[in-house]
Amino acid sequence: MFKNEEMEINLGPQHPSTHGVLRVKLRLDGETVTKCTPVIGYLHRGVEKICENKTFFQGQVWTDRMDYVASISNNLGWAEGVEKLFGIETPRRARYIRTLLTEQNRLASHLLWLATHALDIGAMTVFLYAFREREYLLDLFEAFCGARLTTTAFRIGGLREDLPPGFIKNSQAFQDRFLACIDEYEELLTENRIWKKRTVGVAKLNAEDCIALGVTGPVLRAAGVPYDIRKAFPSAAYAEMDFEVPTRTEADTYARYLVRLAEMRQSHRIIQQCLDGLPEGPVMAKIPKILKSEVNEVYHPIEAPKGELGYYFVAEKGGTMPYRMHVRAPSFVNLQALPKMTEGRLLADVIAAIGTLDVVLGEIDR
Amino acid sequence: MAESIEPQAPAAPEAPMGPYVYDYAAAPFRQVVMPKTVPLPSFRTYTAEVAAAAAADEAKWAKQLADFEVAKTKAEAEGKDAPKPPVRAVPRKDDNDMKTPWPVAATDADLLKLQELLGDSVEEIFEQAGERVCQVKKEAILEALKACREEPSLKYEMLADQSATHYPAAKDFAFSIVYHLTSISRSKRLRLRILVPEGFIPESACDLYPSANWMEREIYDMLGIRFANHPDMTRILCPEDWEGYPLRKEYPTVGWGQRDIDFRDDRGGVLNRLAMEKAGQLGINLKQPKAD
Amino acid sequence: MGVNQPTALEHVLITTKVEKVINWARASSVWPMTFGLACCAIEMMAAGASKFDFDRFGAGIFRATPRQSDLMIVAGTVTYKMAPVIKKLYDQMPEPKWVIAMGSCATAGGPFDSYHTIQGVDKVIPVDVFIPGCPPKPEALIYGFLKLQDKIMTSSIADRYKDIFEEVG
Repeated sequence: MFKNEEMEINLGPQHPSTHGVLRVKLRLDGETVTKCTPVIGYLHRGVEKICENKTFFQGQVWTDRMDYVASISNNLGWAEGVEKLFGIETPRRARYIRTLLTEQNRLASHLLWLATHALDIGAMTVFLYAFREREYLLDLFEAFCGARLTTTAFRIGGLREDLPPGFIKNSQAFQDRFLACIDEYEELLTENRIWKKRTVGVAKLNAEDCIALGVTGPVLRAAGVPYDIRKAFPSAAYAEMDFEVPTRTEADTYARYLVRLAEMRQSHRIIQQCLDGLPEGPVMAKIPKILKSEVNEVYHPIEAPKGELGYYFVAEKGGTMPYRMHVRAPSFVNLQALPKMTEGRLLADVIAAIGTLDVVLGEIDR
Repeated sequence: MAESIEPQAPAAPEAPMGPYVYDYAAAPFRQVVMPKTVPLPSFRTYTAEVAAAAAADEAKWAKQLADFEVAKTKAEAEGKDAPKPPVRAVPRKDDNDMKTPWPVAATDADLLKLQELLGDSVEEIFEQAGERVCQVKKEAILEALKACREEPSLKYEMLADQSATHYPAAKDFAFSIVYHLTSISRSKRLRLRILVPEGFIPESACDLYPSANWMEREIYDMLGIRFANHPDMTRILCPEDWEGYPLRKEYPTVGWGQRDIDFRDDRGGVLNRLAMEKAGQLGINLKQPKAD
Repeated sequence: MGVNQPTALEHVLITTKVEKVINWARASSVWPMTFGLACCAIEMMAAGASKFDFDRFGAGIFRATPRQSDLMIVAGTVTYKMAPVIKKLYDQMPEPKWVIAMGSCATAGGPFDSYHTIQGVDKVIPVDVFIPGCPPKPEALIYGFLKLQDKIMTSSIADRYKDIFEEVG
């Protein structure tokens, strides 16, 4: 009587909830997804190829534009990766300021995630609330380096300049009000019945699957694995910071939401420690004007807001440019888990799954 | 007037029908400087280089001493003042905060364990910049990955990253493929490396580490290395009809002309043909378009 | 009774051209398409969010489908793989339609002088306003949008079909 046919639909590359130009091919049986195939590459700009033809100082500019939501994290990975390649020791004050800015950027990134994820699921108010605080952070970045998004915040060997006057005061003003803001978001969402219906038990991915698929970041921590590169392989000034790695065991969208909110509180804590214990001293190491490398290869991972961000460099003897630069982008690897999360689930859950993975297409396609 | 000044352009020859050849003069922006060295980090090459440099230094010193002796005897014979004895050159110390990380011999328990487990399959183990590197034979990569994953004292659960590098100047291989493994439980990292020649098809790591799926597709897309037993060996970032492998060293950064198409002419499905024509005009080696 | 006193008719009537009224209506209710490609999309979102509030200029209703929108803000890098999609989306938009190329990538390829990046969206679709910046700040986007409004106000219905009219004769 009824025809039992499967239908194939295309989500994207122009779709309001795919966060850019992600395309997902879906095979549907009624409302149930039977097969899900992400198609990427719509923003492939050849960053790796470009960086192979730029010097170690220049290349950082392109890292801004990979994960444009968290460009300072990308800058940190690049700067520290190159420093590891050359064996440069950065001054302690520079490492503190780097940590401070990276954590503020993590807040900005998580705020954008919260805003868009909530908007995708249907909560408009959170979007406006989260952007209000995000603008404050972007103003701080603009005061520091003159750009809101594409910061190029660091230099190889430290920082170009010290913090601008008033930065600490303004950061402190933000610190004082931000915890109340997180409470506001929680008030809007945590016990919201619609929010819970759309997120609890949706897009589950247990710890074994996470590790097998290489998924890192809040998605892995929401599955109960306390793996955070800031703790496991500390760089910058993270070894001197006192913070916790929030985990949950439910491994669903709601748990990831809670983990990210808890992470925002921890970032707030780290920023406070940086502001309180900011050491005096120079912000730039003594390095030659032109860096000439020896034959070497390094892989330097840092904890970006999305997960493990790794820079792989190969350097040649006497080279001023990397012989090979590869980026292990967290979103690229995390997106592999999308079929596992959505197959057998409802179509509407695909939107929640894309939102909860917090993918940024600039980083996936590079 | 203008007609008489400007020489008559010869009639454009027919577009060559056979496989195109590179004509960089036709496309000056697409010239590539090919690397002349093989920057493959290795403790063995490093020690050999250091030994050679030390030997050269020693020989130079010996020659200086000999020259001095000759000059001294000559000066004594002529009754002049003795020349200054030579001073051995000390390497100049740089006044900066850089400490180049040279490769050092492997002392880490994980690397020694791997060597013990894999035996002859291990070509080299060393450490550099605090990172552990193990180079294995290209046929033994699955065995090595399996050992890293399943040996209880190693337990590298996650394949964090996989990428490859093109070495056109090398003689007996063309690519190095690196596997960055992470042990979450032990907070350790390890780099496995294989060297493969052009055309060699290494085994895919997908069965052991499902995260290798997209990474291997990316390597295929960017460098043209195929993997055996991969579930879906297709291009991932570039479109399916893309020609060339962008991260190879002979590939120009600005590409082979695909990006310069005027898409306003697109009437559906003719884009690739236009790209091919454009590349053909530039004298670039692309496949002939399929007859519709 | 002064001679210059307006007549009763002039109290209630404004005389203008139909074209001007249409342009005024069009310029004050431009519906942009949510079409984020890269970094600039984040600034476009910021322009629509709390602090900058794009809605003040009548352009706050971001539509998710090209069939309901008048303005395409190309916010980000256009790649070889994406270009046919952009063209198709542009073709789906109803007339009259406008395009803003936001940021240096959409204007001229920006910092991505590489094999897969189209050097400017004007190789794909016609562009009305170019906004430089990497990415442009929301203020710059708003300024560019105001420029577009000026352009709409000075446009004539005949302009868009000039070529066709000339061809038909």
